[in-house]
Amino acid sequence: MKELLFVFFAVITVVSAGIVSFSRNLIYSVFSLMATFIGVAALYVFLAADFIALAQIMVYVGGILVLLIFGVMLTQKISTVTITHLSVNRVWIVFLGLLLLGGLGYTIFNTSWFTGEMRAAEPTVKAIGNLLMGKYLLAFEVASVLLLGALIGAATIARKEEQ
Amino acid sequence: MKNYFINVWNAFYTALVGLKVTFLHLFIKSVTVKYPLERDKVPANSRMKLEVDWADCIGCKACERACPVQCIHIDTSKALPEDNLAATKNGTARKLLVSNFTIDLSECLYCALCVYPCPEDCINMTPNYEFGKYDRKLLIEQFAPFSDDDRAKRQAFEEELKKKKLAEKAVKTKEKE
Amino acid sequence: MQGIISLFESGLGLPELWAFVIGVVVFSLLIFLFIALFVIVAVWLERKVSAVIQDRWGPMRAGLTIQGELQTIADTVKLLMKEDIIPKPVDKLLFILAPFIVFTATFMVFAGIPLGPNAYSGTFDLGLFYLIAISSLGVIGIVMAGWASNNKWSLYGAMRSVAQIVSYEIPIALILIAVVMYSGSFSVKEIIATQDTGYGIFGWFLFRNPFMFVAAILFLIAGTAENNRTPFDLPESESELIAGFHTEYTGMRFAFFFLAEYANMFVVGVLLAILFLGGYAPIWHVAALADIPVLGWFFGSSGFWIILKAMLVVIIQMWFRWTFPRLRVDQLMYTAWKVLIPFTMAIIVLNGIWMKLFNLI
Repeated sequence: MKELLFVFFAVITVVSAGIVSFSRNLIYSVFSLMATFIGVAALYVFLAADFIALAQIMVYVGGILVLLIFGVMLTQKISTVTITHLSVNRVWIVFLGLLLLGGLGYTIFNTSWFTGEMRAAEPTVKAIGNLLMGKYLLAFEVASVLLLGALIGAATIARKEEQ
Repeated sequence: MKNYFINVWNAFYTALVGLKVTFLHLFIKSVTVKYPLERDKVPANSRMKLEVDWADCIGCKACERACPVQCIHIDTSKALPEDNLAATKNGTARKLLVSNFTIDLSECLYCALCVYPCPEDCINMTPNYEFGKYDRKLLIEQFAPFSDDDRAKRQAFEEELKKKKLAEKAVKTKEKE
Repeated sequence: MQGIISLFESGLGLPELWAFVIGVVVFSLLIFLFIALFVIVAVWLERKVSAVIQDRWGPMRAGLTIQGELQTIADTVKLLMKEDIIPKPVDKLLFILAPFIVFTATFMVFAGIPLGPNAYSGTFDLGLFYLIAISSLGVIGIVMAGWASNNKWSLYGAMRSVAQIVSYEIPIALILIAVVMYSGSFSVKEIIATQDTGYGIFGWFLFRNPFMFVAAILFLIAGTAENNRTPFDLPESESELIAGFHTEYTGMRFAFFFLAEYANMFVVGVLLAILFLGGYAPIWHVAALADIPVLGWFFGSSGFWIILKAMLVVIIQMWFRWTFPRLRVDQLMYTAWKVLIPFTMAIIVLNGIWMKLFNLI
């Protein structure tokens, strides 16, 4: 049963990711990204990472995807339904893609994966919270300061300079 | 900063005032009526459906001429002795028989301009406002108490009368000559 | 209910796959029935509330008694009979998909509403987070509908809706943190257990400290904005945008948007009930109440209390709708970013100070 569900979500993830890359209609790409995100969230659930799964949905679907849609809609010629995007710099992209594929493949085949029986999902929030506020406090705070910097920078750029 | 808090408080406070106003309407009796079950009383002189008292009509066609939308149609013919037309309530003798008196209520605009010129006060606005029909043709109201047969007979008779008159006239003019 | 669930969990003696499929179908239908029933009641309530506020009678004719309670069913039948129109210049795929995405998001949220302490979604460790996270999926459907309609009003409506929902999600999440500070858990069961202290309503987070009271009000405001209701109904403001993102939809497809909109009201009600009003815990524990013949069964069941509290919030939202005029776009953004977010952040800090002062940590 669980295998069947896993295959179902994996297929959704891969197919929609394919649409994201290959669709010539920009808006289809953006919307099928939603299916990808949800599929990935479902896969997180299979890994017993419930908090990450929900954070994935909340942050990526509820936040980042919406921003992407906004970006697409604020581009020109929004009034026509068929926005297309063309691929440029194909040689470089193929090169970079192959590089990425090689790197990921190397990592995948050289990691000693945890194999064993599927365990019942345990609550992870408390552990994550303790780690963030304990062991990784500095990294957590630095990340938030970085984000704050980005926020202020964005506001400064977007703000109209008063004469 | 002070302004900001005053602003927020004002927004919140005025919202509460608004909520209080609408809440108090919970205790106000409904101003509308449950129409088919109960009805608002309309004034006795309100201008709703037109009614004609055929027994008082002398066929002067004053209303037909006054109507701005031409929704009134009147046909008259000479009264016959066997009609036994009684006088109107004003005591006027009825010399013409009103064989056809229709008002198209779908065209009527309730201006009451037909009411004022009537010498016999026989056309009136009534407070009856419930005369909806399922077919527009049914809104053409006939006030003369004749069947279509009757009316056809009457018309035939009228034409005969006219012919007779013409014939008489012709005879008279011939005699003169 | 618990018996039915365990019956399905035991597998009905069927192969695992079939038991799963049948279980999913049965429970989906149950949830759908619940949503449909709620919407029928809510639409009737909305019309009655508006009638009371405007000194009218509202629907009075359809129904067994003389309060027009079957009016919504008549309206629904009319809606379903309508012609299904798909305008020519729309993006057909997205146009058809959009109402289902909006409704699916709402549907998934309903799956997570705990009607009692034994509901799985209640014991699930992240129940509350699930409700908030899934409800943000609906935005995508709205923007999809607005864009696929190929109509400037729809697009404006969708853009406004998205800007609004994304903005108001932040104060809601921050208020969630303020509540979780008290309960120490995202689990709905924990949160309600913390409020069910035996002192009835005085155990509610609403009355825990003055800041929580403010937080509840802010949550109600943000929640009303989140499901696009007046005074925050800019995405579908009739006077400017016709109907916003669902301008081009008819019949069944429109019904899905409609269902989702009203169901979202209930979701906000349930969230507020869980966070501040003690969820499915009774207002006051009185043993004698359970002995009353028919009502006792209601007072004894936990589902009754959470639905009652949620309906109360729904009625308050309706009261809002028929009281306040619509906000301007800049006022809307001002409310979210310059009032709600600073206030909620202040509430979190003050909450922490309060808890430290009274040794509640």
